[in-house]
Amino acid sequence: MNIKITHNWLLEYLETDATADQIREYLSLCGPSVESATKVDGDWVYDIEIISNRIDYASVLGISQEAAAILPMFGKKAKLKFDPLTAYKFTKIKENNSGLSLNVKIEDKNLCSRFTAVIFDNVKIGPSPKFISERVLAAGIKSINNAVDVSNYLMLTLGQPVHVFDYDEIKKQTMIMRESKKGEKITTLDEQEITLPGGDIVIEDGSGRLVDLCGIMGGLNSAISNKTKRIILFVQTYNKEKVRKTVMNTGVRTVAATYFEKGLDEERVEATLVYGTELLQKYASAKLASKIYDIYPNPYKKKTIVIKLETFEKLIGIKIDRKKIREILTNLGFGAEEKKDFLTVTVPSYRKYDISIPEDLVEEVARIYGYQNIPSRLQAPSYVEQPKEMEDLFVFQNKIKLLLKHLGLNEVINYSMVSKEMIQDSGLKIEDHLRLSNSISEDIEYLRITLFPSLYKNIKDNIGKKDIMRFFEIGKVYLPRKNDLPEENYRLGIATNTDYFDLKGIVEAVYKELNIKLDVTENIKEKNGIFVTEIELSKLIKNYQSVPKFKQLNQYSVIKLDKTFILDKNNTYRSLKEKALSSKLLINVEVVSQFNNKLTLRFYYSSMDRNLIEEEAKGELDKLV
Amino acid sequence: MSNLDNLKQEFNKNLSQISNSEQLTALHIKYLGRNGLINDLLKKIKEIPNEEKKQYGTQVNLLKKEIEEKINAKTKELSSKKSDKFFDKTMPGKQYPKGSSHIISYAIEEITKIFEKISFIRVSYPEVDWEYSAFESLNMPKGHPARDDFETSYIDTPPHPKFGKMVLTPHTSNGQNREMRRVKNPPIRMINISKCYRPNWDATHTPMFYQFEGLCVDKDINITNLKGTLDYFAEKYFGRGTKTRLRPHHFQFTEPSFEVDVTCTVCKGSAKVNGKKCKVCKSGWLELGGTGMVHPNVLKEGGINPNEFTGWAFGFGIERVIMMKYGLDDIRNYYGGDIRFLEQF
Repeated sequence: MNIKITHNWLLEYLETDATADQIREYLSLCGPSVESATKVDGDWVYDIEIISNRIDYASVLGISQEAAAILPMFGKKAKLKFDPLTAYKFTKIKENNSGLSLNVKIEDKNLCSRFTAVIFDNVKIGPSPKFISERVLAAGIKSINNAVDVSNYLMLTLGQPVHVFDYDEIKKQTMIMRESKKGEKITTLDEQEITLPGGDIVIEDGSGRLVDLCGIMGGLNSAISNKTKRIILFVQTYNKEKVRKTVMNTGVRTVAATYFEKGLDEERVEATLVYGTELLQKYASAKLASKIYDIYPNPYKKKTIVIKLETFEKLIGIKIDRKKIREILTNLGFGAEEKKDFLTVTVPSYRKYDISIPEDLVEEVARIYGYQNIPSRLQAPSYVEQPKEMEDLFVFQNKIKLLLKHLGLNEVINYSMVSKEMIQDSGLKIEDHLRLSNSISEDIEYLRITLFPSLYKNIKDNIGKKDIMRFFEIGKVYLPRKNDLPEENYRLGIATNTDYFDLKGIVEAVYKELNIKLDVTENIKEKNGIFVTEIELSKLIKNYQSVPKFKQLNQYSVIKLDKTFILDKNNTYRSLKEKALSSKLLINVEVVSQFNNKLTLRFYYSSMDRNLIEEEAKGELDKLV
Repeated sequence: MSNLDNLKQEFNKNLSQISNSEQLTALHIKYLGRNGLINDLLKKIKEIPNEEKKQYGTQVNLLKKEIEEKINAKTKELSSKKSDKFFDKTMPGKQYPKGSSHIISYAIEEITKIFEKISFIRVSYPEVDWEYSAFESLNMPKGHPARDDFETSYIDTPPHPKFGKMVLTPHTSNGQNREMRRVKNPPIRMINISKCYRPNWDATHTPMFYQFEGLCVDKDINITNLKGTLDYFAEKYFGRGTKTRLRPHHFQFTEPSFEVDVTCTVCKGSAKVNGKKCKVCKSGWLELGGTGMVHPNVLKEGGINPNEFTGWAFGFGIERVIMMKYGLDDIRNYYGGDIRFLEQF
């Protein structure tokens, strides 16, 4: 989430001699990231990132508070001109008990941690004063009329979203806050009809109409119009989980909702209502015509954290002066009391969600002290044994990747998920695969149990781009297991559009590289001219030898004999080779040539302890036929 | 023996005087012909005492081989000299196959090596894991936004009674708890590189991506060590002179939490290229990713006493560091399998 506020607006709360660029730079280092400061009509617009746990600084006031703590660390003057949280109290408002009233019923106090409202009479709806409409526009919000703009202006200034109702459209002056029922409908201010999923926080008026989808958007039926005379200023803090759930389930995400869903400070409600009253009185001629409605069942109790002072040094790595620590915390609005080696820190209400353990305080002190002021020291190395089976996985992948690359293959990495179509095309069963329950695309719905479907697709997708294709992938497959995580196995998959022996040769090369004495299995498949194979990485790891077995060099003569055979079902290359190898004198067999089913082989005969004569070798070879 | 040496010297002398192929043929006959000097030597083997015969034979054969090689070399030399045909040295050499590794493989290898040097071991943990490893053990309780259907991919199987639903890991941080439980007693020096998954597919996101996760747990680990490690990595991976900076951020599994920036690889941190504003970075810096000091709850879940040990952790995107280093910015190419992309690396 980002907010946009202007420099002059900030200066209403912050007294400083820092320039806009300095504010951008220094705040980004120690607090909110100010992504840009853009000059606009004699003012600067800051675009600021709000991290999820710091909704408290998503406002002009919040940024002023941060700036007041950060800028002095860079030698800049900075302090809050005044604190609206203490300046705007209910006591500032003159209630009018004899005027208008509202019957409020909250069915479940878990829905709304604080409920406040006041009613105004004689409201004159019209354009906003220039400074309000300009600032609201700079923040990226449409300017509508004085009442609505004031509500947005309040949210941006103090970080508390606000709603205004047309009082006369709240039938029987009754508001019942409750959970929605599934299928109930509400038409919101943007004229969209929303069917509610149920369990959403809503307000029903005395005639049974829904007038507010709380925390998200008001109902169209009670919106402010040019004819509106009486309005309700409505400031609440809602159950954040409920708001979030409604946003997720309806897909309706408003700026107000992005505040409410993060959890807001109940203590800020009072200041917002009072400041809002002041603005409406001033810019919409509104007359306060009711008492202040304030339902606040569990007021904020001061939260304290005790931290050992040495914890700061332990985590930051350098010693920061105790006085400095206290100063930083105080500038951020914390109370800090030192007692011997401990610091008792009081957490301001607006930080109650994100500050709860000592480490949180370390972060506060370290960031304001400045991460750029903390030195950089590599920790000492320390030996940790890498499990052999993990090491092997990576060592072998690298070996194989390099080999195949040098053989001219292209490595591909495919998604681990495949489509139903790909599975069926490969003749596999859908039910053998794990399925994603919330897949965003049919293309990636199932976890693959083999690399084949992806590799087929790789070749098919590249037809026309290159004539000869040889791909390989080393990746996991995910084999389902009952009541357990799937078995995740690495496999080597190879695919070519060449021929059987091309692919077989590649596999043989892998085996040779790893000194594996295994026959290349028949696991080579062909479909539409695409050849694929797949090998378990664990099988390669299990059978490999780092260096082949050394053979004594032979000083005696080697006799080479060529012979041609007719191949058939019973006389295959393999069977001939196996038979030939039964001779103790045979040291090697090579293919010389093949023409149709005529195969010429070359046999190498030798002995380790004497010179053979040709007749002996011939005798061995004759045994073959 | 001296006989052999003399012959060798003599041959070398003769060879050096050869200037055409006729002379070379004559030289060949003189030494290697049927009645040549080498054969003379072999015939003399009868006169050699039995115990020296074997050694003598070997020596003569070696000499023969040497002479053959030298004559061959000379033949080649003469023939190339003689040829006055145009020899175009600019023609391409013999073509050897050149395949490719995936750009991700390069990065994984590079990153692993950088961290190995400072004693980090690469580990392997599941990509399909329980909610417990992916969330609870990382201080992300039920209801945390990262656990939404919109943020995490779930598997359609019955949940585990203790560990929750099965998920495709949305980050490599599931390795944190698993590594703590495996090692039991620190030191821990882990680098976990793995595929991760999130239900997001557009111009800048793919539903599968890679992360590398560093975890260091030991006595007296503090922010200065994290800074030291990040500086070390940035210098080694992005190049000498690369600097890092930390900015405050928020993550559930670290406290304090930071975002790391490194100086822009294009403008080197100056924010200007040829006097103009650098188009790649924001005022000289590029965002690298998230990091922080390990949250005490995460240590506790891993069975490690947070009063005794502290640690840091980071998780960065591999595609992101590749983009920063090599400018490969369309991430969809990575897993699209287009040969025109793959064969470039």
